[in-house]
Amino acid sequence: MVLIGESIHIISKQVSDAVRDQNPKVIQDLAIAQAEAGADYIDLNLGPARKNPEEVTQWLVNTIQEVTDVPLSIDTLNPVAMEAGLKACKKRPLLNSSSGRTDSKDQMLPLAKKYSTDVVISVLTDKGCPPDVDSRTESIMETVAYANELGIPNEDIWVDPIILPVSADQKQVAEAAEFIKILSDLLPGVKSTVGLSNVSNGTPDELRGILNRTYMVMLGRNGLYSAIADVLDKELISLNKGKLPNVVDLIYKTMDGETVDIASLSQKEQDYVKTTKVLMGETLYSHAWLES
Amino acid sequence: MEYKAPLETYSGKVGEVVIGKGEKAIKIGGESVLPFHFFEGTIENRPRIALEVYDTEPEGWAEWVREPYKDVLSDPAGWAKKCLDFGADLVCLRLASTDPAGANAPADKAADMVKQVVSAIKAPVIVCGSGDEAKDVEVLTKVAEVCDGDKLLLGPVVKENYELISKAALDHGHCIIAQTPLDINLEKELNVKLLKSLPLDRIVIDPLSSALGYGMEYSFTIMERTKHIGVMFGDGTMQMPIIADLGGECWKTKQAKESQEQGLLWESVTALSLLLAGANILVLRHPESLKLMREVVDGRI
Repeated sequence: MVLIGESIHIISKQVSDAVRDQNPKVIQDLAIAQAEAGADYIDLNLGPARKNPEEVTQWLVNTIQEVTDVPLSIDTLNPVAMEAGLKACKKRPLLNSSSGRTDSKDQMLPLAKKYSTDVVISVLTDKGCPPDVDSRTESIMETVAYANELGIPNEDIWVDPIILPVSADQKQVAEAAEFIKILSDLLPGVKSTVGLSNVSNGTPDELRGILNRTYMVMLGRNGLYSAIADVLDKELISLNKGKLPNVVDLIYKTMDGETVDIASLSQKEQDYVKTTKVLMGETLYSHAWLES
Repeated sequence: MEYKAPLETYSGKVGEVVIGKGEKAIKIGGESVLPFHFFEGTIENRPRIALEVYDTEPEGWAEWVREPYKDVLSDPAGWAKKCLDFGADLVCLRLASTDPAGANAPADKAADMVKQVVSAIKAPVIVCGSGDEAKDVEVLTKVAEVCDGDKLLLGPVVKENYELISKAALDHGHCIIAQTPLDINLEKELNVKLLKSLPLDRIVIDPLSSALGYGMEYSFTIMERTKHIGVMFGDGTMQMPIIADLGGECWKTKQAKESQEQGLLWESVTALSLLLAGANILVLRHPESLKLMREVVDGRI
């Protein structure tokens, strides 16, 4: 799976301070760490980028490009910042993201065409996040058709089903996984991506990793092409490189409803089985899901 | 062609909890079908109804709520007896005096008073602290000790204070009320933590009961989902009986304070709804609502 490193995020205080003070060291260290960990892209999350969007974005892109040649994913809702970022990229970037919202169709999608980028298109619409597989399908068919009309081919489109936290809406986690499964039939040639760590938002910090990792494996089996993820999580990288085949096998078996002899497993393997069941919606989530 | 009713089969069963000792004991829970689904299985224990007793004379009650208890408002044991005269299965004794924001009565004094009430009546007793997380630990552990073996139902026990209270309940043979704020995931989390030290048949779930028009649908949904998850899907951490503590919530509404008739309807309609959602114990305030609910639950079981 193609991994997009998520650590340069404006919500992080370290990052927002560095951007404010134009301190390259912090940003470059994060970029190098993620590149060394194996990130295929580095995400640059600028949020709404209200102040000096052009200047800030260009500074960030150039600062990172000084230390690594890993391609960038420009992640902002501000079209001015987006255009400045795309312009500054040396390698073909990922526009992250557009959606079925009217403002996004009007202002973001044309940028993907203009700069010939790969582009994330999420299932969001003016009405918000579609609640099930059918409404996600309806939304994405419409937006992708719109993008095609603009001249963006399916091969450049990375569909994002929008991942919601399992602690907030458990049913949506399984719905998004199901959507990924049918996506290649719906829209042949499109790629896909998710904001993986969103699944564990709201879960106590020390427990987030296993949710992210398990969901990555589950979505990967359903055909997910890429994920914006915590690439500094070593176990996540190992799983993605196929170095933990027994864990992957257990997750698959659990997904298939096969009986797994829990008692014969190590603690870690048990945790993966329990987590798979929670993410499938088979057992009710609680912060104590690993304890029962 | 012969008609065959489409009946569900269920994989789980609600645990049976016994409150009160000896002849006083009553059982709640134990059903292996959804609430009132008599056509799909047996419901051995009907829902039980408690009336409230306060350890100090309550303030701010409408005259039509005070009226039935007017002779006993400062006599908890007498008040408890009166509740049984009105037909309650058990009483819910509220230790309002222990509230640190109020009289802040010491734990041992409250515990002695609980013992008097328990000794005075031939029915089981639910004992509720003031809701102050820290003070409730002192008060409820003391009550557990003084009433050793009386099989009280003690609460509320919350995420912040469950450890010592559940230990005291285990050591002295009581049951506890596991309370969470209208959130099924938090409810399950507390159950999981409690089950590490207490058996399932010592726990009753309180997901919080809101009054009609004041969020009752949230309480309804959570009770309903709890039964679905416990009984239909067999999740062993969600198979405790449920208590719907709704009387106080209903009588503090504007509508209930405006007229007795509205108040009784408010309490009864809320109670009936939560029974349908799966409540195994109702805690009511007014004896007339009790009478109405009695007709509902005794109609069949």
